[in-house]
Amino acid sequence: MQQNRNALKVAVVAVLTAVVVVFTMVVRIPTAKGYLNLCDVAICFIAFTFGPWSAFIAAGLGTALADLISGYAQWAPISFVVHGVEGLLIALIVRRQGDKEASLIRKLFAGLVCIATVSLGYFALSSLFISTVSVAAAEIPGNIAQSGVGFVLGLGVASAVKRAYPPVRSLAW
Amino acid sequence: MTTSTFVAGKGWLYRFDPRAKILLMLLLCVWFFLPVHLVGLYCAVALIVFTGGLNTGFSHVWKIFRSILPMLLFMVLFMPFNVRTGRPLFSVGSVTIVTEEGLMQAARLAGRFIGISYVCTLLFATTIMNEVMLALRWYRLPYKAGLVVTLAFTYIPFIADSFSQIAESHRLREADREQGRKFLQRLKDLVPTLTSALVVALRSIPNLAMSLEMRGFGLQNRRSQYHNLGSYRHPFTHFLLSVIIPVVLWLLCKA
Repeated sequence: MQQNRNALKVAVVAVLTAVVVVFTMVVRIPTAKGYLNLCDVAICFIAFTFGPWSAFIAAGLGTALADLISGYAQWAPISFVVHGVEGLLIALIVRRQGDKEASLIRKLFAGLVCIATVSLGYFALSSLFISTVSVAAAEIPGNIAQSGVGFVLGLGVASAVKRAYPPVRSLAW
Repeated sequence: MTTSTFVAGKGWLYRFDPRAKILLMLLLCVWFFLPVHLVGLYCAVALIVFTGGLNTGFSHVWKIFRSILPMLLFMVLFMPFNVRTGRPLFSVGSVTIVTEEGLMQAARLAGRFIGISYVCTLLFATTIMNEVMLALRWYRLPYKAGLVVTLAFTYIPFIADSFSQIAESHRLREADREQGRKFLQRLKDLVPTLTSALVVALRSIPNLAMSLEMRGFGLQNRRSQYHNLGSYRHPFTHFLLSVIIPVVLWLLCKA
């Protein structure tokens, strides 16, 4: 039984990682320091539907792989940390308690945490390892827009997927 | 969607042991943050770019440069105006626009950025992903983590194709509404496409889990390996070179 559960966990994380890569690479708006994309939609969807650990691994690994494939390899470790933590925090905040869905206030708080994690995380880590404070600061508005839009779309997509494909609840761990 | 980062070639970097290559990449990334002369920094960057050109071809080297060029320009144009310390080079009245310190910092930042970009990209351009995973497993990456990455790479083209087809069919259904839509409406209209693509991806999970079980995933027996890194000869020499190269560069270029 444990073996079956392990196989399901690996399958869930692998497919969700691929989903994050595709969402990151399909829609790309070039900016001065890289590109803006839909990865936050996938990350928020995973965090709302699959729980903290799936969100952490799939979000971190998916965005890092997308950076590697796209030729932005130097951003891969930063993306892994920032988006991994983003997925983990959102999932922990909106975690279901029994049969009750998360309240609107908690969802709003999760949205704020999502925006803060992405914008401040990229600002801190890229100013520390890749560029400088002034260059990294210029990217904050783009990251706020990307994560804000991503969170709202992710929320909508999560509830739509739960209605369209109810067995998704049994895949969460 | 192209998911392969490998560029076919026969240079010495392709014959370099992937485990040693990962070590060399990490040490060179650290090297770029050490206090080195600006001239030394650019000599090291030129050496790395030239080595990359000899191994993967100069067209690939140019392709990497094109991908990092927008950010590089942004850094070089933006950075000097944000540093106020140092000898003024260009002033308008009493306002200092550019200082020597600002220019030096911009040059150092650009050199470091180019160097790290090439070092990271060359590892994946000269090593197939399967061997990168084997090398990471040699560094004690858990089997499950390696399997997740390998499976994710298998599923990326399938999910990308599904996404493109679904997006196209949604676009065809809404062709008459395409013009004059506002940004928010466009975002809202994206939800059905994303939902359909996600449902298609999620439906493949039970089948994948079942096929993993059928292949004996999770059993206690040690798994046999079809691929290994045994074809790389002289791994000790390669590891030694991976340590010697950054150390020699450091001794030659330290500030």
